[in-house]
Amino acid sequence: MKMLTIRAVARKEFYHLIRDFRSLYLAFAIPLLLILLFGYALSLDVDNISTVIVDFDRTGVSRDFIRRLDASAYFDAHVHLRNADEASHYLDRGWARMAVIIPPDWTNSLRADREAPLQIIVDGSDPNYASLSLGYMTQFVGRENRRLLADFLNRKGRASINPPVAGQIRVWFNEDLESKNFIVPGIIAIIIIIVGAMLTSLVIAREYENGTMETIRSLPIRAGELLAGKAIPYFMIALIDVLVAVLMGQVLFSVTMKSSFWLLVTASSLYILVALNLGFLISIVTKSQLVANQMAVLITYLPSLLLSDFVFPIVNMPTVLQYVTYIVPARYFIDILNGLYLRNVGLDMLWPSYLVLIVMAVIFSLVTLVFLKREGL
Amino acid sequence: MRRLRIRELVRKEFIQLFRDKKNRPLLVIAPLVQLLVFGYVVSTDVRTVTVGLLDHAKTAESRMLIDTFGANRTFHISYATDNARALESRLLKREIDIAIKIPPDFTEHIRRGETADVQILADGSMSNMATVRIAYAGAVIDRFNERLMAELYPMRMDYGRIDARTRPWYNPNLYSQNYFVPGIVAFLIMIMTLLFTSMAVIKEKERGTMEQLIVTPLQPSELILGKTIPYIIVSLAQMIAVTLFAIFWFNIPLAGNVFLLFLAICLFLLSTLGMGLFISTISATQQQAMMTTFFVILPAFMFSGFVFPIANMPQLIQWLTYLNPLRYFLLIIRGVFLKGVGLDMLWPQFSALTMIGIVVFTASVKRFHKRLD
Repeated sequence: MKMLTIRAVARKEFYHLIRDFRSLYLAFAIPLLLILLFGYALSLDVDNISTVIVDFDRTGVSRDFIRRLDASAYFDAHVHLRNADEASHYLDRGWARMAVIIPPDWTNSLRADREAPLQIIVDGSDPNYASLSLGYMTQFVGRENRRLLADFLNRKGRASINPPVAGQIRVWFNEDLESKNFIVPGIIAIIIIIVGAMLTSLVIAREYENGTMETIRSLPIRAGELLAGKAIPYFMIALIDVLVAVLMGQVLFSVTMKSSFWLLVTASSLYILVALNLGFLISIVTKSQLVANQMAVLITYLPSLLLSDFVFPIVNMPTVLQYVTYIVPARYFIDILNGLYLRNVGLDMLWPSYLVLIVMAVIFSLVTLVFLKREGL
Repeated sequence: MRRLRIRELVRKEFIQLFRDKKNRPLLVIAPLVQLLVFGYVVSTDVRTVTVGLLDHAKTAESRMLIDTFGANRTFHISYATDNARALESRLLKREIDIAIKIPPDFTEHIRRGETADVQILADGSMSNMATVRIAYAGAVIDRFNERLMAELYPMRMDYGRIDARTRPWYNPNLYSQNYFVPGIVAFLIMIMTLLFTSMAVIKEKERGTMEQLIVTPLQPSELILGKTIPYIIVSLAQMIAVTLFAIFWFNIPLAGNVFLLFLAICLFLLSTLGMGLFISTISATQQQAMMTTFFVILPAFMFSGFVFPIANMPQLIQWLTYLNPLRYFLLIIRGVFLKGVGLDMLWPQFSALTMIGIVVFTASVKRFHKRLD
């Protein structure tokens, strides 16, 4: 390996990159954009659920109930409709996610110490949104019932009864239960894949398609040197992107990395290496930019989004796919990110994931090298 | 315009598309793999909650609480210990979703008529699932309280309570697949048409064969039709295959009208093909075209309501989503699949999709014309 050769290749690749403004955009703007988008605009949190009310009862009690519902942070219940048909129109059109129907005689039932049914219809098409809405509704009704019980005991002149058990809930790792706290770190993994694998998947295929691979073959350059030279610019850019992402997450969205900074840099570097080699491998095998790009989306981008425990939990997947996730590098990186960002743990708990990433980086580098050698370098 | 010329160009395009062996897996396998993986993966349903347990009380009452959790089908008690640190380390390793700690004075509090605190530690790293788990745990404790109170206070306790009868419409079992699979269909169509149309033109440019096409008697409009018709056909074929797969493999109920879906696809294709052509006019190389496609798809995907609800976005971005054709197409495809609604409900989406399609397509065609002249 000659340093000079590697440097020359790296310089050439670097010029390629900065002279094509779109590559540059992909390398720098997309990561910034992703962080901004996810931090500001994209959230899985559910609040202000648009709720329509059909109140057949029309008493002070039902109006108070609705007012309390509207006042809670989770429900936005100021639209009153006349009948259930109108409510179903609202749901059909997607103008409302939930309909609360208070039947006639509701207050009378409550006053007579009977069960007073309350009909709640939720738009189930988005199950995540629906189950959260239902959860909040159940909690709200539970609170109302506790109040009614206290009233009842007061009226009967009995001493107030305490509920025997209360669950003291403490949430760990993500105390405010905000989705950005796990989405913003996860973006780091996506950025690395975009810069590391999607960009590099075009690099060697481009040489083939432009016919410059012949030139490279005739040069006194070895496979390892070519690979190292081509990898260096992308490695640097990816690492800078990671640092920018970490900084922006902290400054703009107060998503703070709790554990060691160097552990994060090490993990990111390892993951970048894996991604780069995957990109090169795809590029060598396909020799066509279009196919390489599609393969990169299929082999690197989608798995890191879908099979990595990032947004979609692995435990919910069919068993076969759960096994598949073991060979997805993103799974280990996401595990490390989760540990460093949310759980504040160190190497003592994360070493298996680090080990797997190291092994993957070595294996992928060797395989890429072998494939490149077979191409006559 | 001559039909013959267009037909010949379409034929050439098809031959080119299928002769390249590497294209075939892209056209057939990639969409199916994506549909399968997406279909099986995108589920954030909380079906089981693994519980770690620490019972310091070990009384009849604490066992009753544990049994109430054990009897619930959702909760699965996978670990019980006497050591608080061991329990917390399980949570730290993410081996359990929630940890329940019953304090030693649990029963004394209850006997004295006070409220006994049970500590519930929840892994919040996936915030929404954590919220649902916490709500479930709260519901179990409520049920336990009702049972215990009936035992402790034998006097009449039927106070007037609200009985919330909840009913999810459109997707009664709240299956994630029913929501996501139709959306994937839309997403796949967008990727394929955008990429292949722009590539079809760019390849001619890169290889220099564009010049040859220009000197032929082909007119610009014929060229555009010849370049887009093959991908309309391919997309429609893919769409039909993928929709059939969604219905018969994933058993997604199709509540509405198939023809309405077909009409929506055609309108949607107008926008995506238009964008594909547009990308081909602003890119010189395949690499550029692919990256531009990526820039277009990424925001289109994020701001369509596919995963992230539009209602959660800041107001300004919510307005911007009105420009996104995928937004309307998703509303239509989900409306038709799940809600079974018809044109009477969906006409605003249909008209928006038509307008965007016409604007994008004519603008791109104009630009394309200019480039050829």
